[in-house]
Amino acid sequence: MEQWMHQIEQWVRQQPVEQLYAAFAVLVVTIAFFAILRLLKPAKSNTIVLAGLSGSGKTVLFYQLRDGSPHQGTVTSMEPNEGTFMLHSEMEKKGKLKPIHLVDVPGHSRLRPKLDEFLPHAAGLIFVVDALDFLPNCRAAAEYLYDILTKASIVKRKVAILILCNKTDKVTAHSKEFIRKQLEKEIDKLRTSRNALSTADIANEYTLGVPGEAFSFSQCRNKVTIADASGLTGEVSQVEQFIREHVKP
Amino acid sequence: MLEQLLIFTRGGLILWTYRELGNALKGSPVDALIRSCLLEERSAETSFSYDAPAGGATYTLKWAFHNDLGLVFVAVYQRILHLLYVDELLAAVRREFSHIYDPKRTAYDEFDEIFRQLQKEAEARAEEMRKSKQSNRAPPVAGKKQGPGQRAGSQGNGKKKGVKVGSGKDDGDGESGKGRGLSNGSSNGQENGIEESSRVPSVVVKGNENGTPEVGAFDVNKLQKLRPKGGKKSDAGGGGGKASKAEPKKILKKNRVWDDSPSKSRLDFTDPGDEKGDNIVDVVAADQGESMMDKEEIVSSESESEEDEEVESAKPGTKKKGWFSSMFRSIAGNAVLLRSDLTPALKALKDRLMTKNVAEEIAEKLCESVAASLEGKKLGSFTRVSSTVQTAMEEALLRILTPKRSIDILRDVHAAKEQGKPYVIVFVGVNGVGKSTNLAKVAYWLLQHNVSVMMAACDTFRSGAVEQLRTHARRLQIPIFEKGYEKDPAIVAREAIQEACRNSSDVVLVDTAGRMQDNEPLMRALSKLINLNNPDLVLFVGEALVGNDAVDQLSKFNQKLADLSTVPNARLIDGILLTKFDTIDDKVGAALSMVYISGAPVMFVGCGQSYTDLKKLNVKSIVKTLLK
Repeated sequence: MEQWMHQIEQWVRQQPVEQLYAAFAVLVVTIAFFAILRLLKPAKSNTIVLAGLSGSGKTVLFYQLRDGSPHQGTVTSMEPNEGTFMLHSEMEKKGKLKPIHLVDVPGHSRLRPKLDEFLPHAAGLIFVVDALDFLPNCRAAAEYLYDILTKASIVKRKVAILILCNKTDKVTAHSKEFIRKQLEKEIDKLRTSRNALSTADIANEYTLGVPGEAFSFSQCRNKVTIADASGLTGEVSQVEQFIREHVKP
Repeated sequence: MLEQLLIFTRGGLILWTYRELGNALKGSPVDALIRSCLLEERSAETSFSYDAPAGGATYTLKWAFHNDLGLVFVAVYQRILHLLYVDELLAAVRREFSHIYDPKRTAYDEFDEIFRQLQKEAEARAEEMRKSKQSNRAPPVAGKKQGPGQRAGSQGNGKKKGVKVGSGKDDGDGESGKGRGLSNGSSNGQENGIEESSRVPSVVVKGNENGTPEVGAFDVNKLQKLRPKGGKKSDAGGGGGKASKAEPKKILKKNRVWDDSPSKSRLDFTDPGDEKGDNIVDVVAADQGESMMDKEEIVSSESESEEDEEVESAKPGTKKKGWFSSMFRSIAGNAVLLRSDLTPALKALKDRLMTKNVAEEIAEKLCESVAASLEGKKLGSFTRVSSTVQTAMEEALLRILTPKRSIDILRDVHAAKEQGKPYVIVFVGVNGVGKSTNLAKVAYWLLQHNVSVMMAACDTFRSGAVEQLRTHARRLQIPIFEKGYEKDPAIVAREAIQEACRNSSDVVLVDTAGRMQDNEPLMRALSKLINLNNPDLVLFVGEALVGNDAVDQLSKFNQKLADLSTVPNARLIDGILLTKFDTIDDKVGAALSMVYISGAPVMFVGCGQSYTDLKKLNVKSIVKTLLK
């Protein structure tokens, strides 16, 4: 062992100085590079995605969170709305809060593929449901929610999901408990029809729930919560709470 | 008068509305416009008409894009008014607004003043035009294109007439007001002759949903109908003749092998002593494994960067100069896309689509729509025009082929089961596309998902149709409802559904006779079948080999079903079943043509002649193949 060390020392002494310096510099740079990478990687993403059927109020919610008012109204979105900003209600607060990157993905069925672009970076997903006009759209909403809950990018990264019942300022809006039960029932039915025989589930990469039991959101691998809000009047406190929970400052 | 003028971003936020007219619009015309026109890649059309659902007013909508800033300008007005200055006004508004637009601002109150001024100017100009024409007393009815993509020229008289006319006013239209560069002098001479014969020409604008104009002394639609229907078939006699599903008559005939796959052992499924079909031989149920509907499709991802180069090299001559200048501009990154830049790239794309068997009309409309969405956009740095166009086209194709309603049939079947009624699917189509074959495949797939199926043989015309279905039913061991030949298919279908209720089958698959879309009595019979039985799903079966005829087939089918329907909400084609997909290698354009023209999603794809050859449409792979 000592002989070996001695031999190495001699060999090192014999190299020209510049080469030694160069080798050392390269080594330092590489180590620094890896150190920086490691520092940067666990930076948690700050993206929150707003998804839901067309007409459920996502764009209104987006502008409410950003500016505090939905301005002059909205029409069906043809493109996603993206923005990185501080929540409007937190503008006045002191202290360093991380700006959130909010994405509002159009709900029209023809634009569904756009959702897949944003999901891999999402820290949380808000699924907006129209509490006013819920029953006619229950099936479509459940199908969309089912598709989202079974996507690999959501399940593997355990993205948290908030089911938001929007338009609760109106008198005839349904309660969140009712909506939750209806969605669970519909998703249960979807489970049976989609998982019927094929072991290779075509579109959905994961299966939901426990076979044999009725589906409930608590069986999902990622956290699913449900809340109320009203985009038009500005009652978005529960939404902001959810956002702050998942975008850590 | 204008009801409303809206400016909104493509993301959906309304930036400015014309606020003086306080009356709210009935219904939601702008949403309807976005959903049924702009998102369907029909943005090259000139106008859109909307009927408020609760029997309110009917509106016409016109729009303009500012692609660079991502803004949309929409003008709404009552349909009975034929305002002539709207296009001009939209263009002027777009110009002015782009000066004051700022992505951070959301309120533009000062635009009210500017708008009022622009409106006054536009109205004044229209008035002037009208007065000058009145004094001329020979209104130039121009025969020129109203806008990109209008195909009015295909009407019976080969002249293109300009768009709508002032209702009740006796002068002609105000096309000149639109500033589209028409030549008044030259057309004047010709028009005088026409003017005598047709007092107030009014034309069906291609974009109009219900095409009959109220004030129309000259209805071009009627002219089309009067045209002799000699076309393809004269009467029902055209129905037969296509070979029935082959059971080779002599055993000496060798089975034809299409590709290198090992031939199936026997194709003759007839049971001995089966002429009258009375002996119910106990045949083992056909079990050929899992239907391909349930198998995951493995899509190979290939890089397509080489294809771009081919397109470039295909153009001779002036291409080099164009390439250099476009390269410089793309590096500089400030080029604004003009029509002239887009035209060559779009032409190349259109040709490519047409070589993939997309109908010519559809390819044209698509290219126009993509052009409308790209014009005025700034090129990003280091991007070529062709790649921008390619990306835009890819997005557009993806959007069209993505279904806008759920295609989960099993879910619908379960829903119907809960309500205690059978789920009825009717297969319609022209002769020889594969309705009976694919009906059997769908039955096989449903059986694999534990759904009880019943067939109804409503093809009472073609010899062997009932036997064919009977054979399939026997192999699949499912009940079949048949009444033989020469019976009224609508009645047979009704009785079949009643029988299904009685023996609680979940699904009824109704086979109909093939018919050409021009055959009036047969289309009427089909319409009667659908009206009488109100099926849950009307599936149009189309073969992937069809070319430009796909457009004609689907539009005529839809039109006849709409016209001859007895209820206000006519049942139209709900879905498409694409057959013979294995016979086309990569010429998959028929799928695009059919989906574009009808708006219905492709629910199944038939890709072979055995029971398992039924797949779902893989949108991404089709788009990739189309643009390769």
